[in-house]
Amino acid sequence: MRLTITRQNLQRGLAAVSASIPGKTTLPVLSNVLIESEDNSVWISGTDLDVSIRVRVPAEVTQGGAITAPGRKLLALTRELPDQPVELRGRGHQLEIGCGNSRIKLNGLPSEEFPNVPAMDFEEGWSVSEASLRQVIRGTAFAVSTEESRPILNGVYWEIGDRMTMVATNGHRLAKMEVAAVGTGGAAGASGAFIVPPAALAQVERLFDGDGEIEVGRGGNHLGFRSTNQEVYTRLIEGSYPNYEQVIPKDNDKVARVDKEAMEAAVRRMAVLASDQTHRIRMSFEPDRVHLDVMTPDLGEAHDELELDYEGEALRIGFNANYLIEVLRNMPAGDVKVAFKTAERAATVVPAESELDYLCLVMPLRLVD
Amino acid sequence: MKTQPDAPRPRIRVLPDHVANQIAAGEVVERPASVVKELVENALDAGASAVRVSIEQGGKGRIRVADDGCGMIREDLLVCLDRHATSKIRRAEDLRDIHTLGFRGEALPSIAAVSRMVIDTAPSNQATGSRLRVLAGRMQGVDDAPRRPGTTVDVRNLFLNTPVRARFLRAAGVETRAVSEVLHALALANLDTRFVFESNGRTVFDLAAGRELAARIGAIWKDADAAVLIPVATQRGGTRLFGVVQRPDRARPGFRRAHLFVNGRPFRDAGVLAAADRGYRTTVPDNTRPWLFLFLTVPGGQVDVNVHPGKAEVRFRQRGRIEDFVESSVRETLDGIESAATWGEPRPLHVVREGEGAGQGAKVAGDPGAASDEDADDDIAQINIFRARAAQAEDAAASEEVYMPRAPRPALLQIHNSFILAETRDGIIILDQHAAHERILYEEMLAGFEGAGSEGQRLLFPFTIRLTKPELEIVESVSETLARLGFELAPFGHEALLVQAVPSPHRYFDAEQCIREMVQELLHGSDLTRSANNQNERVAMSFACKGAIKAGQKLAQEEMHELFDQLFATELPYHDIHGRPTVVRLGLGELRRKFGRS
Repeated sequence: MRLTITRQNLQRGLAAVSASIPGKTTLPVLSNVLIESEDNSVWISGTDLDVSIRVRVPAEVTQGGAITAPGRKLLALTRELPDQPVELRGRGHQLEIGCGNSRIKLNGLPSEEFPNVPAMDFEEGWSVSEASLRQVIRGTAFAVSTEESRPILNGVYWEIGDRMTMVATNGHRLAKMEVAAVGTGGAAGASGAFIVPPAALAQVERLFDGDGEIEVGRGGNHLGFRSTNQEVYTRLIEGSYPNYEQVIPKDNDKVARVDKEAMEAAVRRMAVLASDQTHRIRMSFEPDRVHLDVMTPDLGEAHDELELDYEGEALRIGFNANYLIEVLRNMPAGDVKVAFKTAERAATVVPAESELDYLCLVMPLRLVD
Repeated sequence: MKTQPDAPRPRIRVLPDHVANQIAAGEVVERPASVVKELVENALDAGASAVRVSIEQGGKGRIRVADDGCGMIREDLLVCLDRHATSKIRRAEDLRDIHTLGFRGEALPSIAAVSRMVIDTAPSNQATGSRLRVLAGRMQGVDDAPRRPGTTVDVRNLFLNTPVRARFLRAAGVETRAVSEVLHALALANLDTRFVFESNGRTVFDLAAGRELAARIGAIWKDADAAVLIPVATQRGGTRLFGVVQRPDRARPGFRRAHLFVNGRPFRDAGVLAAADRGYRTTVPDNTRPWLFLFLTVPGGQVDVNVHPGKAEVRFRQRGRIEDFVESSVRETLDGIESAATWGEPRPLHVVREGEGAGQGAKVAGDPGAASDEDADDDIAQINIFRARAAQAEDAAASEEVYMPRAPRPALLQIHNSFILAETRDGIIILDQHAAHERILYEEMLAGFEGAGSEGQRLLFPFTIRLTKPELEIVESVSETLARLGFELAPFGHEALLVQAVPSPHRYFDAEQCIREMVQELLHGSDLTRSANNQNERVAMSFACKGAIKAGQKLAQEEMHELFDQLFATELPYHDIHGRPTVVRLGLGELRRKFGRS
């Protein structure tokens, strides 16, 4: 293998895959990135066996081939090189790097040792816009569970067909967003549902930052996302996702309408004084006004008030402030509608005016007094 | 059958002194050990700086107590055998404020009444002394006798005229041990006095006069070093507590050494011991009894030592307050870093008492001479109990700083997803994440019980747990307590439990597993739940144990910091609820030694 590449392109490619290089690994080749030449370009790949990332950057290839080299070292080195064309040359298992007067040899491993990306069937897959995929990921992935007893909830549920819906919950709060799946292609009309690890979605959100189309394909227990120059593959979480539709209340008739910025700011102030353990705050809704209260023994107490549109009966309800803050932060700017049935039932939060089909749900804390 | 006398005659007579004394002897002089106790107390009241006790055949043959105290002039010597003859009090009012060990004036005549006694004495300002010989309470003669200042009392043939009492004496070995125990207590209370004890011509111990309580304990008992004692020093109003108690991780079930003193006087009191044990609750396993050496100083009017001629028991005016004080003092001590487990063998402790009596003052100090420079860091810092308040506050702040991880926010290292290692100013500490979180949760739950209870997070997906009938019954029996912990549980059919709300003690909490494990523990009982005092405690302990962050749980930096912060905000940060340590310290000194750098 022999090729020439600009320092910027090399650094861009390496930085893109570096997130998938595991920090510690028992399999030495995973610390390496795979460099494969193609016509006038080079693919750089990294994987931790759960999530794999491949990125293509332009290069002048004089001799085709492939090699692996330590990913972090190569990235660190690239940052230090002068801004001149970089010549990469595979010689046995060694990668020779030339740039200006610098000559570096990095010991690599044979490219055959590098795990293959899982085979994907993109023909039978879907096509979605990068922008809408980013939007649903941002709006939902935060709500996944970190607790390991129910691995299903550690993933984001993704339904795709004519429209696509993403749902995430930890059993205490839930976020759901639905958008039109622009340009659904492949086997038209086929729908699919996956439970995707949030780490993979974070990479998708980071890498597919343009406004093009992403092809989505499935292969066995893996899911692939690809565009011309970028590919992300991930293992899926197996199992059946709980029936989320069933737990979304349809009859929450006490509705408060409030500016989300003002509400978030007030909750944040209360959260500072909330217990580290439960993060509990109380809200008392009354016509056109909500009182926020927090009282933590040994720490102190706080009270705040907000004006809002509320016409229902007076209602006192307790929440984990962190859950509310996360939900409000992800709501689009402007007013939100917060709806309740009783102090024991789920509260729903939806944008008041936006066209966006977005709903968050927060289970209250049982108040003890 | 007795024959009735013809005419009534007066039957009540005043007993002659020697008979009265024999009766009194029955109360004061029970066995050789009580003779030794009375004579040594007299020696100490005489200001002796050295007391030498020699016995033969467990004291049944001979008891000899020699001191270098103030001695007596001949006039005093002649009256000292009269009952209630004493130099120690003069008026009834003095009884309320007693500073000497004896005061009844009963001991010497009582002993003299049942033995052959010789007293040699010389006051410090006279060249010649006197010798008084007594046989069964009857004076045999007084002669001049040369003697250095001080008094020697020589008692032979104890109970020579009360053969029944003599027959009740035990084997020589048993009596020797009893004498030994009496001397231990007196030696602990009088650090400035040298104590020599000889039995059948062989020296049993020779305790040099010193100022260190720990040194004396170590000199008396060979196993004291391994027991690891930590200093106690507290004060509330005019009441002070000083001494050493065992570090919880070293406490073992079974035998313990426990000595109580009030105003320098040894006493026995199950209530005060139980109070100290209460102070240890949750820091040691339930069946464990830590060593205790506690010296109470209470204002004179607050304690009555005149309850029993042997003075083994005392009466406190405000017993509840004293017990409460002892309990909270022990607990306060266990809040300190000294009570945390250490890596390797702990450094010897130096606890010093200053002054003459316990009333004079007490001091805990590191011994700068014994500890080389690099060891100083894991020695107990110099603490003066009766230093000015400001200095105390400073000390507390300083010691807090020493043991908290270095600010600002050092990197914490999680080891095998179970232990967290942090650098401190004087070395490192290793924290057991599960044990630490247990302590945090337990105290939080108890605080919750004081108030309205803890909140439960209502579940979006309520779930059911299949349980057997006895399991459901146990849940039912503690349902109110569980509700106050934040659980919302309801029977679901006959064999299942519906869970609608659960507490959220941490991000990785698995409610279902926690409930299952708690039900098992509450149903079958465990050492932990048996150590609880009441149902609230039992359920809180079980929840803390089952709900705490598990070993094997990977934690983020922020979570580890939070764990540290919360742990050190608890009342007893160094001990979990099973009586195991939450942290182990490894001092720089010990590290250097391990690497051969000392």
